[in-house]
Amino acid sequence: MNSIPRTLWVGGVIVGGIVILAILGPWIAPFEPDAFNVRSRLQPPSVIHWFGTDEFGRDVFSRVLAGAHHSLLMGFGATAISLAIGVPLGLIAAFRRGWTEEAIMRGVDLMISIPPVLLGLLILAVTEPGLGKTILAVGLVYVPIMTRVARAVALDLLAEDFVEAARARGEGGYHILVREILPNAWPPLIVETALRITFAILLGSALSFLGLGPQPPDSEWGLMIAESRPFISEAPWIGLAPGLCLCVLLIAVNIVGEGLRDLLDPRLRGRGH
Amino acid sequence: MVTDPLLSIQGLSLQYATQRGAVHALQDVSLAIPRGGAMGLVGESGSGKSSVVLALLGLLGEGASLTCDALRFDGEDLREAAARLRGQRIGVVFQDPAAALNPSLTIGFQVAEPLIQHQGLSREAALARAVTLLGEMGIPRAAEIARAYPHQLSGGMKQRAVIATALACEPELLLLDEPTTALDVTVEAQILDLLEKLRRERGVSMLLVSHNLGIVDRLCDELTVLYAGRVVEQGRCAPVLAVPSHPYTRGLLAALPRLDRGRMARLVPIPGGLPDLTQPMPGCNFQPRCPFALDACGAPQLLQGEARLSRCHRAAEIEGEAWPIPEAPEAVARPIPTPLLVAEGLARSFGGGGLFRRRAGTRAVDGVSLTIGRGEVLGLVGESGCGKSTLGRLVLRLISADAGHIRFDGQAILPEPSIAFRRRAQIVFQNPDSSLNPRQTVDEALRRPLIRFGIASGEEATREVERLLELVRLRPDYRSRYPHQMSGGEKQRIGIARALASRPDFLVCDEAVSALDVSVQAAVLNLLTDLRDTLGVAYLFISHDIGVVAHIADRIAVMYRGAVVEEGLAAQVLAPPYHPYTEALLSAVPVVGAQGRAKSRIRLKGDVSSAQGSAGCRFAHRCPRHMGAICDTVTPPMLAFGASHQIACHLPAEQLAAMPLALG
Amino acid sequence: MAGFLARRFLSVVFVLWAMTVMVFAIVHILPGSVAHMILGEYATNAAIAEMEERLGLNLPLYEQYWRWFSGLMRGDFGQSLTMERPVGPVILEALGRSAILASISIVLVAIIGIALGIHSATHVNSWSDRGLTLMQYFFIAVPEFFWCILVIIFFAVWLGWLPATGYTPLADGGFLGWAKHLILPVSTLVLGLIAHVSRLTRSSMLEAIESKYVLAARAKGLPERIVLRRHALPNALLPTITILAVDVGILIGGIVVVESVFAFPGLGRMLIYAIDHQDIPLMMGGMIVITAIYALANLAADILYAVLNPRIRVTGTAG
Repeated sequence: MNSIPRTLWVGGVIVGGIVILAILGPWIAPFEPDAFNVRSRLQPPSVIHWFGTDEFGRDVFSRVLAGAHHSLLMGFGATAISLAIGVPLGLIAAFRRGWTEEAIMRGVDLMISIPPVLLGLLILAVTEPGLGKTILAVGLVYVPIMTRVARAVALDLLAEDFVEAARARGEGGYHILVREILPNAWPPLIVETALRITFAILLGSALSFLGLGPQPPDSEWGLMIAESRPFISEAPWIGLAPGLCLCVLLIAVNIVGEGLRDLLDPRLRGRGH
Repeated sequence: MVTDPLLSIQGLSLQYATQRGAVHALQDVSLAIPRGGAMGLVGESGSGKSSVVLALLGLLGEGASLTCDALRFDGEDLREAAARLRGQRIGVVFQDPAAALNPSLTIGFQVAEPLIQHQGLSREAALARAVTLLGEMGIPRAAEIARAYPHQLSGGMKQRAVIATALACEPELLLLDEPTTALDVTVEAQILDLLEKLRRERGVSMLLVSHNLGIVDRLCDELTVLYAGRVVEQGRCAPVLAVPSHPYTRGLLAALPRLDRGRMARLVPIPGGLPDLTQPMPGCNFQPRCPFALDACGAPQLLQGEARLSRCHRAAEIEGEAWPIPEAPEAVARPIPTPLLVAEGLARSFGGGGLFRRRAGTRAVDGVSLTIGRGEVLGLVGESGCGKSTLGRLVLRLISADAGHIRFDGQAILPEPSIAFRRRAQIVFQNPDSSLNPRQTVDEALRRPLIRFGIASGEEATREVERLLELVRLRPDYRSRYPHQMSGGEKQRIGIARALASRPDFLVCDEAVSALDVSVQAAVLNLLTDLRDTLGVAYLFISHDIGVVAHIADRIAVMYRGAVVEEGLAAQVLAPPYHPYTEALLSAVPVVGAQGRAKSRIRLKGDVSSAQGSAGCRFAHRCPRHMGAICDTVTPPMLAFGASHQIACHLPAEQLAAMPLALG
Repeated sequence: MAGFLARRFLSVVFVLWAMTVMVFAIVHILPGSVAHMILGEYATNAAIAEMEERLGLNLPLYEQYWRWFSGLMRGDFGQSLTMERPVGPVILEALGRSAILASISIVLVAIIGIALGIHSATHVNSWSDRGLTLMQYFFIAVPEFFWCILVIIFFAVWLGWLPATGYTPLADGGFLGWAKHLILPVSTLVLGLIAHVSRLTRSSMLEAIESKYVLAARAKGLPERIVLRRHALPNALLPTITILAVDVGILIGGIVVVESVFAFPGLGRMLIYAIDHQDIPLMMGGMIVITAIYALANLAADILYAVLNPRIRVTGTAG
């Protein structure tokens, strides 16, 4: 394996930093994220309030810190869900062929023919909103893509001669899956997962921006940006702070994903969503 | 009378910038082609032969830097004039016609394009001329083909179209980069005939780049042998190929399995691999692999000689000395005429089915019966798509058969065979890159079958793995290597060792040496021969290369479109009486040193994909000895010639027996 | 070709039908009573019973579905719960406005994205290529809703050049007034997609430029301009068509967000309104219409792909 590219380092360090900040949030936050302070409403950024305060006098920096773990959970949690459902489905489709495959792949085609945001809205439309449901919805939206990728990867590998050699030894499906397929399937799957996290964060924060994610007074970056809209001219920092953090996180995760792709699977270079 | 050559290359050197440093792809290459002459440029993969073509055309791309003393075409400096001359006075044919044609333009337009560009013809006039050109290249119904897109044409037709494009502006020089490598041997023969005719009738000069000495011998007057970026030998074809001077050329010729030499001759592998091109040696760069090398060979050297140039310090000293032939182990196991594997009426169709796609399936294998004796090698020859690989997998029950029975050592083998059968019948694959799991070390790959079949475990398995490595002539320290740390030939040996781990009685070798360079192929073929002789393993040896099959097989079966058309002892199949397809196949093979064969050549029309229907004889649509309606409607009978030789043909036995020898 | 079109058309019909089942199922089978949701937590049992009667919620599910589905077939989307109007005309009005937004955007994305992609591919590793690559990284990752906030702060609040929200029909505001309200929404919609399309065009163009048939075209002695335009470009643009179809899906998501930020009275804002107010018939109708548009866009892309690709358009062997 080649040496790790510099961009991957940079992206990894930023993502790692945000994860650590999110974990340490409750201890390092200068203020209680939900504490009202009517006397210091809509204050611009200062030494005391690094990112200023919002309409209730809450410290924006503390709220951004508290919101970090929601955004991260959304990205990683949803991707984990799509991985946990999509990969087994894809592998089953590749191994079983016939009717099982046909049924799974037609279902996937159906899900993919609905625009992602719309599918998210559909799942969330009639239930009480909340973080857990948003994560679930985003995870479900990306299940079909994971299924497709896993199936394609497995089908490529199943056509390899070393798998045929295993079948010529009379090896069972379990051995072929665990010893021959999975060790070779993980690089493309890891790459897909890493790239998927970007889209999961994007979709999750968009849904919570639309009011279908965590509810006030919880803080989540998309929600914070939505709540800042009435004060956009008086106090733009309320929306800019979480927005910029979101951008940094997304760009860093994207860099990590693409870096991993170049490192592990150069054939996929330049492929998109 | 001395005239200037049409093309003259002097001291051409080429470097590619890479991350590992500059790769010296070509070093001091010189050659000249007179008007009407044909030069063959021969070398194995990595020799830099294709770079010469790109350098001449000025199409090297970024990262390549070129230096030379002269690069002249008809008095013009190619370094400046290449862009103006290519397509006009210099035509090019690249290796893979499927890739060289633009998928979204019609054939006719692609042939017409240079005419529009260089001769200022109108679109209509150019298209009309393109149709004529296509016709001249032997394309039937050229006007219809001109309107077709590349994906609608067979490989041979595509290559004819590419040649028509190259010839559109009547160039004086044709550059041919492996023009037939992607084609089947009977189609290759058609293309070679075409090129030969073009040379004869139009006096086109040619630079033919190829790894195949037989093709170069057929088409060229002169020959340049390239090794790791340097010219090692240059001269007239016939003398160089008859008595090569440079050890590398000798090695190449000795490594070639030859139809005309028969089975018992032992091949000469060239040990080792290409030198590191980032650090060119001042002296002979073949020295590390050369059996004649002395310390003095490290001194700088030049191409030497008069009519015949050779880059060897010891060329004069070693004249007449043969390349040392590796010793063969004594054969302890000879084929015993008791049947080991008997297959009857195997059939398998592909395609069809599916939920939304209802198509008639194609019959890949259609009622084939085979018998292989203990320790016997049955060679299975046929062109791409004839069903030979499918048959190999059917015999092992790796894919399910639509019909047929298999008996192995007297036992019926059911569609889900027992582990005992799996242990005794194994497979070796074509592609060394795909046959080994990239995430497993050699040790893991070889240990698994030992454990799976309960042959050995723990310490004992380690010893067994080392024994297997020794069997395929690899050092014990290969145990810890991963596939990407090995060369193609080494990977192929591991594939063989893995198949042998369970001590099988029967191996299916599916194009087991086809992906390898000649010098490496020789070593693997020798290994397979030795294993048969010492272990008594029987092979079903599948190959498209009848030369390789003739070298190793006891018996040969010839397959065409899903059925065996001829079967017999190797010597019987290679001599008359022939099935007309076998005759054509044999006379299509370009053999080194057989330029006088022209008269007896049999050529097939079209190719396999132009087949229609499945009634009658499968070969009827291309058969040069087609008799009439009976061939198209009635399935031919199996004619027996003696106890072991069978031919499926309607021709009377006497007529088959009276066929001339198709070889040499 | 005809077979291909028939298959694709059937699959569109199937997707739309399946979508009606899915929308219906999710709305009616997920836990929670629809009537409860509409009337709120403190509704009396009597009020709920009356509401269920009115909406036909007391019927068996398959019958409810059939009533709704047969209505859809006749073009009757039902009655909005909050607007005292039939859903059909409401959707049609909103659809018209969103269509303006979407069509301008997709045309811009196609033209600018492809142009930038080709420029990058033909100037690999130049400064402009590196600059574009860097910007693509950035634009792909920045969410639309944050762009909305940024452009509003910059162009509407600070510079005051453009209105932050709303929409003026062409008839009322004239071209200028109409266009003013479109500039900000359109530009936020297209930035990410242009980055996406230009990146993939770059890679497919590069692949074409490195192909053997382009080498062969150069070997014919054609000028580089013709080699690129005639040989590389048509083959490179085929995958871009598929990408544009995928991007219509992303665009639809973007429209939902952008319309609600800019208070643009289109289909996306209507959908969010319906969800916020639990106007079930309006919501179901909106979902079906949007899916239908996406399915038709994909169908159009498939047809275009087939028409431009001889390997699908022309079948059978010759010779």
